Amino acid sequence: MISKPVTHRALVIITFLLLSVQVFSHGDLTKRINQKTKEIVENPNDFKLYYERGFLYQQHVEFNKAMEDYLRSTSLGNTDKVLMYRIAEVNYLSEDYKNALSSITAYLEVDSINVKAKKLEAQILFKIEAYKESIAAYHYVMKTMVDIRPEDILEYTSIILAENNKNFSKAIDVIDFGLTKVGENTLSLQVKKLEYLKDSGQVEKTIEQYNYFILEYQRKEFWYYQKAAYLVSINKSKDANISLKLATATIEKLDAKFKNMDSILELKQQIKSLESTINN
Amino acid sequence: MMKKITQIVMMLFTVYSFSQTEPIATADVNSIHSTTSINVERGPYLQSGTPTSVIVKWRTNIATESVVNYGTLFSSLTKTEKNLTLITDHQVTLSGLTPNTKYYFNIGNNKGVLSQDLTGDMYVITAPAIGTKQFVRAWILGDPGTANNSQREVRDAYYDYVANAPINNGKTDMMLFLGDNAYNTGKDAEYQNAFFDVYGDMFKKSVAWSCLGNHDGQSADSATQSGPYYDIFTFPTEGEAGGTASGTEAYYSFDYANIHFIILDSHHSSREVGGAMYNWALTDIQNTKNDWIVTLFHHPAYSKGSHDSDEDHRPIEMRENFMPMLEANGVDLVLNGHSHSYERSYFLNGHQGFANTFNPDEISKGGHTVGSTGHGDGKTDSNGAYEKSIEATEGAVYITTGSAGQISGGELNHQAMYLSLNQLGSCVMEVEDDGKGGQNLIVKFIRENNEIDDYFTINKTGIVTPNVVKNKSGQESKILTYLEDSKLITIAVNKNERLKSVKFYNNIGELVKRSRKDTIKISKMSKGLYVVEITTNKKIYTESVTIK
Ligand SMILES: [Fe+2]
Repeated sequence: MISKPVTHRALVIITFLLLSVQVFSHGDLTKRINQKTKEIVENPNDFKLYYERGFLYQQHVEFNKAMEDYLRSTSLGNTDKVLMYRIAEVNYLSEDYKNALSSITAYLEVDSINVKAKKLEAQILFKIEAYKESIAAYHYVMKTMVDIRPEDILEYTSIILAENNKNFSKAIDVIDFGLTKVGENTLSLQVKKLEYLKDSGQVEKTIEQYNYFILEYQRKEFWYYQKAAYLVSINKSKDANISLKLATATIEKLDAKFKNMDSILELKQQIKSLESTINN
Repeated sequence: MMKKITQIVMMLFTVYSFSQTEPIATADVNSIHSTTSINVERGPYLQSGTPTSVIVKWRTNIATESVVNYGTLFSSLTKTEKNLTLITDHQVTLSGLTPNTKYYFNIGNNKGVLSQDLTGDMYVITAPAIGTKQFVRAWILGDPGTANNSQREVRDAYYDYVANAPINNGKTDMMLFLGDNAYNTGKDAEYQNAFFDVYGDMFKKSVAWSCLGNHDGQSADSATQSGPYYDIFTFPTEGEAGGTASGTEAYYSFDYANIHFIILDSHHSSREVGGAMYNWALTDIQNTKNDWIVTLFHHPAYSKGSHDSDEDHRPIEMRENFMPMLEANGVDLVLNGHSHSYERSYFLNGHQGFANTFNPDEISKGGHTVGSTGHGDGKTDSNGAYEKSIEATEGAVYITTGSAGQISGGELNHQAMYLSLNQLGSCVMEVEDDGKGGQNLIVKFIRENNEIDDYFTINKTGIVTPNVVKNKSGQESKILTYLEDSKLITIAVNKNERLKSVKFYNNIGELVKRSRKDTIKISKMSKGLYVVEITTNKKIYTESVTIK
């Protein structure tokens, strides 16, 4: 479990590298940048134009150029808080967390209740491993945001566990809160809940959670198999066998068109090999 | 009674006022300039249609109540749904409807009707019950939102097509928007010009669905899930339309007849394997029992148009992360936009590399085209339709069709594409009976000049007759016999064995019944799947039975 945040961070870094190394052919963005440049040549002291081009650069994943334009816009007198937010955002995206923090702090001095800014603050604090502060900021986001996405809830729980990798009870509480906000059957949250119940060794509740999926979904074969795999991992082979039998029986009852689908063929193989593990 | 009179007076007034202002009278009434001066500025448009419900949305210039009158007879809209809060952006859900049924409607406020169609061209036809096998037509529009004449020509070409279609003419079961619905940044005013003002005639009788494009994403804020895109559209987040609950309008799914539609967000949401959207899509596709699966997302898995799917990270990630999973679970058709061209693939499977690694001779695992016709044109009157069956479940056609509003060229030479055109147009998908117990999924590319420049067919056999596996009335073994009529299960073990115990486990693996007898009454057991563990003095048998 301790490795979880690391894996997550690795993914973020890889994504970031992908983003920064490749040169993208965003035809329309390039065109619009060139257009803005022309306008800037005509009005070299218009801070609005630098801001606008900076934002285009930002979307084009050219963070250095975006920052140059933002700073230029600032020095020309742009005091708009949106610009302050963008500066923090670009610092964050280019992994300059120290500057990101100081710019988002400056923003929040002007507008302390902006939920988007609080979220960015929480993300920056997470990056510099100020987990407690990050949690506090994200808590505000959770309480305030009108349309929370499942992704927000998942991000919040990952910060909670980064701060204390044993704090599954709080993480699960947050998931349960999230389910009341975005819908009780929200798949990504129910799957994360399952993961947390498993990782915290709550056997009964984990099995209950598998049963929730089995009862909720019209096609159950994949859930039966996953439940069986879990039961094997906690040495309940007899129960695992029953779950595998249910998986097989469910596949048998599937419409013929599904029985030869690649995913079902693979599942059958997995069932076989798990059965042979149990019986050996 | 009062309301009816008001309605009639209003109708007369409207016709009169139109005959005054417009010599060529159109019966379509979008706004009625009465003394109240409340006008409908947007809509009505239909959202999140299901077999039993639909959401009607519209906008008025002044805050007022929301009233929808509806009914199955145009001359008598006997039912009313209303919300008395004074608002300008109206949203009314009609529920408790009958599947596959035409409901006429009009919209208004407490004082009367504000918008109606005197020719009966404002209606919703509810979706058929999930799994129904019937003719379905979807109009597919990629990157339409230019608000220019090209967009209108493409629209009109489809209107002509559907008005003269040989089957179900005039009927468009749904509109599928592939994103970038309103240039340049998906602002509300841009949506008005490029979306509502252009497709208004279709919006009042056909449910519109969409995925998020990058231009929509410039005004829509994913961090707070707000902004025009999210305000304008209302999509099912809790599986209301037949799919799995995603908890977000950024990605969602729905069923229509026997087709399952999966709408992904290739722009804002994480495209990682194991991310929230991925996990959702995996569960969603593995939970459908429908015959066809269609996926929509904005950034093209394959394109050498104005965007290059070998260079942009979003197409690469969608192709590498999502396509193997969707293909393994039976996706049939993938619809993308972003590049402003029409690029249509062969019958593909497992081609996740760059364009230059496409190898049509490779027809096995990790291979690229499927079946004997897979590398053909997919035309029934030429190389033959692409084929799927109970045994051959692989193969999907990918279409990058982002030229419903403009064309932007590009190399247009992606090897996986059968055809690449720098032409304006939109697509129509039609699913119909093949007359042989299967169905055809036909897609046509309709140019702005009414020409059909491309078409293909995917034929799927054996789906019209449902697969009733007559397996001994739910009995699945030799030892165990399920006597459905007498509600008994009998156990017959080998002669040299002695029965010791019979245990019944229910569908979540709980032990619910024990017996030592070889004839067991099951009249009190609930219906469903059971695992039966039969222990003899020599062996344990594990069987399953479905009690009906
Ligand atoms: Fe686009």
